[in-house]
Amino acid sequence: MPREIITLQLGQCGNQIGMEFWKQLCAEHGISPEGILEDFATEGLDRKDVFFYQADDEHYIPRSVLLDLEPRVINTIMNSPYANLYNPENVYLSKHGGGAGNNWASGYCQAEKLYDDIFDIIDREADGSDSLEGFVVCHSIAGGTGSGMGSYILERLNDRFPKKLIQTYSVFPNVDEISDVVVQPYNSLLTLKRLTQNADCVVVLDNTALNRIAADRLHIDTPTFAQVNQLVSTVMATSTTTLRYPGYMNNDLIGLIASLIPTPRLHFLMTGYTPLTTDSQVANVRKTTVLDVMRRLLQPKNMMVSTPVQRQGNNHCYISILNIIQGEVDPTQVHKSLQRIRERKLAQFIPWGPASIQVALSRKSPYVQTAHRVSGLMLANHTNISQLFDRILNQYDKLIKRKAFIEQFMKEPIFKDSLEEFDNSRESLQSLIDEYNAATKPDYLTWGIQQAGAL
Amino acid sequence: MSEFKIHHHISELMTLLGVKSSHPIGPELYAEKLLKCRTPYITTQMSSSNAKWQIAKSTETPIEFSTLYDELKGKNVRDLDPLVFLLSKLHEEEETKQFLATNALEKLEKTGMTSLPHSKVTSQLPAPGTKMTEEELSEIKDILLKQAVVVETPPADFLVKVVREKPLTRNTNIPQQPDWVFKRPYLTLDFVTDSDFPQENVESLKNKSPFYQEHAVLEDLLLCMRGIEGKYILPRPLKETYAVREFLIDQSMDVSVKELVNGILPLCSNYSTVVLFIKEKSAFEYGLVNHALSHAMETLIRDYLVMVAQLEREMKLGNLTLQKLRFYLQPTMRVLEILASVANSINRGKCIGGAVLSLLHEKTASMIGDRKSSELCLYLTQSACVPYMEILEKWIYRGIITDPYSEFLVEENETINKEKLQEDYNDAYWEKHYTVFQERIPVFLEQVADKILNTGKYLNVVRQCGRDVNCPFAEELVYTVKERRYYDQIERAYSYASQLLLTLLMEEKQLLARLKSIKHYFLLDKGDFIVQFMDMTEIEMRQHIDDILPSRLESLLELALRTSTANVDPFKDDLRVELLPFDLTSHLLQIIAIDSKREKDYKKDPTDIRLSGLESFSFDYVVKWPLSLVLSRKALTRYQILFRHLFYCKHVERQLCNVWIGNKQMKLYSPASSRFYTAAFALRQRMLNFVQNFEYYMMFEVIEPNWHTFQQNMAKVTNVDDVLAYHTDFQESCLEECMLTSTELLRIVHKLLVVCITFSNYVQRVSQTTMVESEVERLRDSTLQYTKTNRQRKEEQQKKKTAIKVLAEHVDQVLADENFEQTIQTFDSNFSQYLVKLLDKIMDENTKTYEHKLFNILYRLDFNGFYTEKLAALSAERALKEHSMRAESSSHGLALSGSQPTSFTSQRPETATYVPGQYRDK
Repeated sequence: MPREIITLQLGQCGNQIGMEFWKQLCAEHGISPEGILEDFATEGLDRKDVFFYQADDEHYIPRSVLLDLEPRVINTIMNSPYANLYNPENVYLSKHGGGAGNNWASGYCQAEKLYDDIFDIIDREADGSDSLEGFVVCHSIAGGTGSGMGSYILERLNDRFPKKLIQTYSVFPNVDEISDVVVQPYNSLLTLKRLTQNADCVVVLDNTALNRIAADRLHIDTPTFAQVNQLVSTVMATSTTTLRYPGYMNNDLIGLIASLIPTPRLHFLMTGYTPLTTDSQVANVRKTTVLDVMRRLLQPKNMMVSTPVQRQGNNHCYISILNIIQGEVDPTQVHKSLQRIRERKLAQFIPWGPASIQVALSRKSPYVQTAHRVSGLMLANHTNISQLFDRILNQYDKLIKRKAFIEQFMKEPIFKDSLEEFDNSRESLQSLIDEYNAATKPDYLTWGIQQAGAL
Repeated sequence: MSEFKIHHHISELMTLLGVKSSHPIGPELYAEKLLKCRTPYITTQMSSSNAKWQIAKSTETPIEFSTLYDELKGKNVRDLDPLVFLLSKLHEEEETKQFLATNALEKLEKTGMTSLPHSKVTSQLPAPGTKMTEEELSEIKDILLKQAVVVETPPADFLVKVVREKPLTRNTNIPQQPDWVFKRPYLTLDFVTDSDFPQENVESLKNKSPFYQEHAVLEDLLLCMRGIEGKYILPRPLKETYAVREFLIDQSMDVSVKELVNGILPLCSNYSTVVLFIKEKSAFEYGLVNHALSHAMETLIRDYLVMVAQLEREMKLGNLTLQKLRFYLQPTMRVLEILASVANSINRGKCIGGAVLSLLHEKTASMIGDRKSSELCLYLTQSACVPYMEILEKWIYRGIITDPYSEFLVEENETINKEKLQEDYNDAYWEKHYTVFQERIPVFLEQVADKILNTGKYLNVVRQCGRDVNCPFAEELVYTVKERRYYDQIERAYSYASQLLLTLLMEEKQLLARLKSIKHYFLLDKGDFIVQFMDMTEIEMRQHIDDILPSRLESLLELALRTSTANVDPFKDDLRVELLPFDLTSHLLQIIAIDSKREKDYKKDPTDIRLSGLESFSFDYVVKWPLSLVLSRKALTRYQILFRHLFYCKHVERQLCNVWIGNKQMKLYSPASSRFYTAAFALRQRMLNFVQNFEYYMMFEVIEPNWHTFQQNMAKVTNVDDVLAYHTDFQESCLEECMLTSTELLRIVHKLLVVCITFSNYVQRVSQTTMVESEVERLRDSTLQYTKTNRQRKEEQQKKKTAIKVLAEHVDQVLADENFEQTIQTFDSNFSQYLVKLLDKIMDENTKTYEHKLFNILYRLDFNGFYTEKLAALSAERALKEHSMRAESSSHGLALSGSQPTSFTSQRPETATYVPGQYRDK
C-alpha cells in the first residue's frame, strides 16, 4: 500500500511536460520506454509503485491520465518510443478534436460535457490504488485546454476527493514575448481562481523565467520547447524524489507540502534548481558543497519564477523553504550551511511565525549519470509571488477595460448570462495578492479578522 | 573499567561513607574527575618510601607502623604500595580527613558504639595497628586496622575495590589425600621429632679426642643432612608449622668442632624446610604450580641426597674431615638456602598459582648477577611455570580452560550463559562470563592479562558457534626472564583470535548488514516502510493495549515489509512487534532514575496506566548467537528507546498533517469567515515546524552523522571489543543528543508532543462536526450524478455555492459557540510556554556543558529569530529575578509580573493600530 499519486496531463503543454516527466522517471527507475524493467534495475531500493503500477512482474505502467481536446501532442506521444508505456485506456482525446481555441470558457464547457468520460478514467485509476494520496495536475494556465479543462477538473476533483491532495504544476505564460494567445490574461485570471480555491499546492513554473534561464544560464539563444520542458521535468522529478527514494523524512506528499504551506490559500510555490544543465551541455564542474548548493538556490537567477528583483523597501520574504539535496552529502555539512545562511542573513523570513530552511537529503538514481556530485532543488513559498499575480491582474484590467475579445467568451454557456465570473475571479485574485502582502507583516495572523472588520 | 562502573563504585563508596545524595558534590563530579585522570599507579621505590615516610612522620608510633608495613610487605600483599600511597595522599588532604573523621564518628554513634580512646583500640588489637593521631583519620585508621586483619585472607586492593564482591569460591571438589598419608609419620624425609623411641645411651664426648669428636659429629651431620637425628645433634620440634628447624648440639663438644658444626647446620634446617615444603605442597589443594615447583625441588633434593651418599662413602673411606665437608658443601648450601627461602616466602604468603609464579619471578629477577643462583631460580620458575603455561596455551590457542585448582588468571562464571544475552538488560555475558582475577596474575603476565582474557574469550565465541579452533601459531610457551618471547606469542595468538572472531562476525554473520537493517527499522531509515506501517496499523494503534491482537500487528508488519522497499532487506524476517506495558517517558524516567538513585520517585501505580497501542508499541528484533554479543538485550533496548521516541514524533507529525488535510477546505471560504481558523493555522504551523525540525535534527544531525562516524570506525576496527565499544558509543551519543538522557528536557519534549496531539485531536473533532453537513451534501450529489443534465448540474453548482456560504456561516457559529478561539488560545499559550522553556533549557544546558550538538536544534527551531525575543525576555526576567532576590527587597510582585510567557498571537500593542487596506494600495 504505497501512497499512490495519480498524474493528470491536460492540454498541449500539460502533455508535453508530462511526457518529459515520465521519460525522466523511467530513466531514473531503469524502466524501458516499453515499460519493461531493465535487467540492471532489479535491486528494488526505490519505490516505483507511487507513480507506476505493475501489470505483471516486470511491466510498469504510469498512474497517468492524458487528456486533450486536440490530437496533435497526444499523437506525437503515441508515435514516440514511449507509446506503449501508457495505459491506452487512460489516453483521452475529445472526439470533437478541435481543441479549445485558446479559450478558457471553451475548455471549461467542453470539459463539463465530457465529465462522465473523464471521471470514468479518473475513478478507475483511483479505485486501482490502495491508499491514494493525491493527484498531480500538469497544465498551463494561459491556453484553452489546460486552463479551462484544468479549472473544471480541479473543481470536480475537490468535490469528489475532498481528503486527497491536489498538487499542480502550472506553467505561467511568458511575458517577455508577445503571445499569440491574446486572451491569455483572461485565461490566467480565471484559472488562478480555481488554483487558489481548489488546489492544495501549486508549483509555479514561469515560462518567462524558464526561457530566461535557458537563454542566460544555458547559453541557448532560442530555447526549444523540449529544452525548456526538460528543465520542468527535472524540477518535477526532483520534487518527488523523496517519495521515490525513501529516507528518514518526507516520504509522503503531505509531509512535503504541509510544512511549506502554513495557511491554506498561500500555496503557490516557487522552485529553484542548481546546477542547471541540459543534455547537450557539458557541465562546468565547480566546487559543489552543500553550502554552495544552498546558497545558489537562494539566488534569484536560479529561480524558475520571474519576479522583479527584490526592491528596497518592500518586505517580501520567505514563508517557508524546503531544499531537496541529492547526491553524496556529508550530513554534518547541512547544519553548518544552515548556520552560515542564518549568519549572513541570506534569506528573509516571515515575522509572524517560526520558519526555517528544511533540508531533505535524498538519494540519486543510480541509473542516471550526472556530472554533478551534488544537486539541489528548492521549493519555496515566497510572498513575492504576488507580483506575478499583480502582473496578470494588470494585464487583465487593461484588457477588460476595453472589453477586448470578450465576445469569444460570451459564446460559451458559462458567460452567456453575465460576466460575473470575471469579477469573482478578479476579486479572488486580488484578495490573494492582499493576503500575500499581509503575510509580510507581523500582524498577518489577525489579518482575517481585520478584513472582516473592514467589510 | 567502563564509565558506568566507576560511577557505580563511587556511588557505592559514597553510601558506604554515608554521604548524603543531597550533598552538593554529586557522584557525577567525582566520576568525571576520576575518568579524566585515570593513569595507572606505578610503584617506584621513591614514591612508596616517600609515602611510607609521610605516614610514619605523622603517626605517634612510627616504628610499629614500619614493622607492620614490613610484615605486610613480607607477606607479599598485593597493592600494598598503592594503598600506602593513597593514605599518604589522604593525609595531605585536610578537608577529606575532616569529613571522614566526622563521618566515622556519626557512623559509630549510629551503630551504638562510641569512639574508644585510641590507646584502647590499639591495645585490643592483636597486631599493633598503624596508629595515626586521633584527630586525623579515625576512619582511615579503621580501614587500616581492618586491613591488618583482612590480611589473613588473600587481600584485595582494599580501598579501591571496597565494593567489588570477591567471589573467592575456590573449586571445592578437590580430592582429599588418603588418611594413611597423615597417619604414618615416617613417610617423610624430614626429621621425626616426636618419636617414642627412647634415646640410646650416648656416650659423652666430653673426654674424647677432637679427632674422635670430629668423626662422631661427621656421622651425625650426614644423618642430619638427610633428616635423621644424630646422637649429638638433635632436632628440636618445630614451634610453629613454618618455623626454621633448630638443633640441640651436645654441649660437651670441642669448641672448634662446634663452630664447624654450627656452620653446616643451617643446611640441615634448610633441608628440613624444603622437604617439608615439598611434602606439604604436593597435596592436591595447593594446585598445579605448587606441585610442579615441589617436583622441581624434589629433583634437586634427589641430587642432594646422592651427594650426601657420596660424602658418606668418602667418610667411610676415611677421607672426610669436617673442613672438607664444609668445603664440599659450600655450593649446596647456597642452593638449599635459596630453596628454603623460596619455600618460606610461599608458605608465609600462602601463595598458590599465579602468586607463586610472581614470587619466583621476582626472586629470579633479584638474583641477577649471581649466575648460578639465578640459573637455579630460573630452573625453578620454568618448572613451576610449565603447568600454568599449559593452561595458558590451551586458553589462548583453543579457548578452553582446564584449571582444576582455580589457579589460572581467567575464570569462567558458568552461571552466566549466552542465552541470557537475549533476556538480560546488561552486558553480563561479555563482561562477566570470563573474568580476570587480579590476584592470580603472575607479575610477568600482568601487562598482557587483558589480552590473554580477550584472546580466549574471542576463541570461545568461535567455539560456541560450533567451530573448532586451531591457532596456527600454537607454539609452546616457555618462561624466560627476558619477557619478549612469550609476549610475542601471546600477541600473535591475540591478533589471530580477534581476527578470527571479527571475520566471523563481520563477514559470515554480516554484522554491518544487520546493523544497517536495524537502522532501517529502529531508526526509521526506511521512511516509506514506516509510513506504510503507520497507515495500516492506524486503527489498531488507537486501541487500548489489551484489545490489540499482537498476531494482527505481526501480519500487518509482514505486509508492510513485503510491500515497501524494506522488501529487499535480507534480514527483514527477524523483525517483530512488541507491546510493552509502559510508555516511553515513564520507562526512560525510570531508567534515568536508576542511575541517580531516585528510583522510588518514579514507581508508578500499575493500575492507573491505560496505554494505547501507540504508546506501548515497539519493534523487536530476533538476534542469534554470536550476534547477540553486539546486539544484546541492552543494545536492543537502546534501539527500542530511540525507535519509540522517533515513532511518537512521526505520529505527532502525521496527526498535524491530518489537521492540515482536514482544514484544506477552508480556502474556499472567504478570508473573513475563516478568521477563527487563522490562529489555529498559525499554531498548527508552529507545531509542525517544531516537530519536523525536531525530527530533522534527530535524524540528520544526530543519527546520521553518528552513524557516519560509527561506520568509519567500523572500517578500521581490529577486534570485537572495539566493535562493542564503538557500537555503544554510537547508541549512547544518539540517545544523549536526542535528549533522551536528561530528565528535564525529556519531560518538556514529552509535554510539547502531548500538547500537539491534544491540539490536533481537538481540531479534528471540531472540523468533523462542521464537515458532517458538507459530507451529507456531497453524498447526495454523488448519488444523483449520473442522471444529471448539464442544466441540473449547473443549478447544483449554484446550490453548492450557497451551501458553502451557509456552511461557512455555520462553521463560524460553531466555532464561536464552542469557544474555539479561546481553546486555541489555551493550546497556544501552553505550547509556547513549553517550547520557550525547552529552548531556554537547551540554552542553559549549553552554557553549562559546552555541548554544542544540542545547540543545533536552537538554530533550527529558531531559524528566523522568531523566538529570540521571547528567549531574551525570559533570560532578562531571570536576571531580574535573581537580582531582586539578591537585593531582598520587596519587589517580588515586580519580578513575577509577566513571568508566564504568553501566546505569540496575542496582539502586541504596537501592531494593534492596523489600518485596513493600507497594504492594498501598493
